[in-house]
Amino acid sequence: MSAPAGAEVTVERASKGFGRVSALRDVSLSVSPGEAVAITGRSGSGKSTLLALIGGLEQPDAGRILIDGRELWRAPHPARARREVVGFVFQRHLLLATLSARANVEVPLIGAGVHRAERRRRALALLEEVGIADRADHLPSELSGGESQRVAVARALANEPRLLLADEPTGALDSTNSERVLDLLFRLREELGMTLLVVSYDSSVGTRADRTVTLIDGQLAAADEALSQRG
Amino acid sequence: MFAIIRTNLLRRSTRTIFTASGIAVGVATIVALLAFTQGLKETAAGFVNLGGSELGVFQANVSEPTASVLPESIVARLDASPDVAHATPLLLLVEGVKSDASAIVFGADPAGFFTHNLVLTGGQRPATGAREVLVGDRLAAQLHLLPGAVLVIAGHPYRVAGIYHSGILFEDSGAVLALAQAQQLTSRPAEATDVVVQLAPGVRASVAARHIERSFPGTQVITDPQQALRVGANSTLISKAILVIVVIALIVGAISVTNTMAMSVIERQGELGLLSTVGWGPVRVASLILGEGIAVSVLGAAAGLLFGVIGGSLLVHALGVSAYVSPSVTAWGLGRGLLVGVAIGVLGGIYPAWRVTRMRPLKALSAT
Repeated sequence: MSAPAGAEVTVERASKGFGRVSALRDVSLSVSPGEAVAITGRSGSGKSTLLALIGGLEQPDAGRILIDGRELWRAPHPARARREVVGFVFQRHLLLATLSARANVEVPLIGAGVHRAERRRRALALLEEVGIADRADHLPSELSGGESQRVAVARALANEPRLLLADEPTGALDSTNSERVLDLLFRLREELGMTLLVVSYDSSVGTRADRTVTLIDGQLAAADEALSQRG
Repeated sequence: MFAIIRTNLLRRSTRTIFTASGIAVGVATIVALLAFTQGLKETAAGFVNLGGSELGVFQANVSEPTASVLPESIVARLDASPDVAHATPLLLLVEGVKSDASAIVFGADPAGFFTHNLVLTGGQRPATGAREVLVGDRLAAQLHLLPGAVLVIAGHPYRVAGIYHSGILFEDSGAVLALAQAQQLTSRPAEATDVVVQLAPGVRASVAARHIERSFPGTQVITDPQQALRVGANSTLISKAILVIVVIALIVGAISVTNTMAMSVIERQGELGLLSTVGWGPVRVASLILGEGIAVSVLGAAAGLLFGVIGGSLLVHALGVSAYVSPSVTAWGLGRGLLVGVAIGVLGGIYPAWRVTRMRPLKALSAT
């Protein structure tokens, strides 16, 4: 795999509400290319909403989210823009139940219009990379939770993203598998140089990350805010 | 993409089968009726050129051409028309030969061009007034008849005087009786089913047809098979019924596919949201849904084509016209069935596909 450079993330006074619930209020955050940032906070503090805004899955009600200087959701083709920059890993692996591990990794490549033979080659290389090439032809129901999450990581890397967003990637795993998945994410970030944002309750994520920011009731904790504004 | 469509349909195989079955019934009905209509058309084509005629005069507004009744007296008046070179009456007996129900017995004037144009391959023409019949070579071969044998028509024995060949399927698969004997046999004195006409040199059939219909109110002249098909009210009814069934099949099929795909979209919100998250554009995700709708419909249509071919044969028996109508399945008939199937898929898939394009990825993902 080629090593994609990391993306620069800039969140400028972003706010987001769902109906009468204010999920995120006036949040600003800067993440340097290749940086690994852990985002922590209590349940409902707005961590996942922040990640969704950064990934272009939602648009902010106010403020701006810039990835390498451009707003993904404002791009002429938001899905394409997302595909070219961002990879997602979720708490649940969200693998398509009827497709093999390999075919699941191929799914983003179908979206990118990659030819079949090349899709297959890249999917197998990615499964090799995450250490489960021998399970390539197995269905998700035949994989353990840890294996499934590794397939999800491979899928997130399929389009060689410069920004990897992981939302509670170990939330559904036991401690052994959690360690393995975190090892994998941070190793890949080291090897590929991508920017990594990880939302997690897991305190060990913070120790691996370059920086930890904490959200409280939809706002960055004061210390993080000050740090973010400095630079 | 095709692999995903295939697996999605297979994982809900019962639903797929039921939806496809509904479409199959609609398509089968269309194909069967088209095959039947085509058979009617071919039957009609055979009636148009009986005896080497260029047009046929029938009673207007009858259920079928064979149900036409004309007074024999019309023949002399037709013969006197400047457009007409020769006119001769025919009385058709359908299902008159019990040993071969598909054989038609033609009651024809022994002096008319219809009888005169028959080329004898064996035996001789019937003697005047004798209870004798000419038999087409196809029918003779089928019933192993030779000159001198006996053919029973409407319960009455007739001696086979000769075997003929005309090159026209209906004639060669039937028999020719003197008109007077046919009239006696059917208790229809001085009546004919139709009058076949050879035109005077240089006269166009369409022009002559207009003149004849104007001069003989209550008649309808047919000059080509398509027109012959329109003579029969049943044929017209069937043509209209096909149109109605096509529209109903499209509406019901499309609603069925819409329902199936809409349910599928609701159930698979998470999956579709994921596709969007990993970079599938709205058009591609919508294409997946539309593709699944079309695939179900094509599956149904394929089954429908098969059932339609079988159904065509059943239909002619059910309508009691198997004696002289054979369902004819054409590539165009099958193509139209398939076209209806694809149209159902497209129409039925549009709304669910549109809904997918409006889906917000985060909301869809949270629905899992």
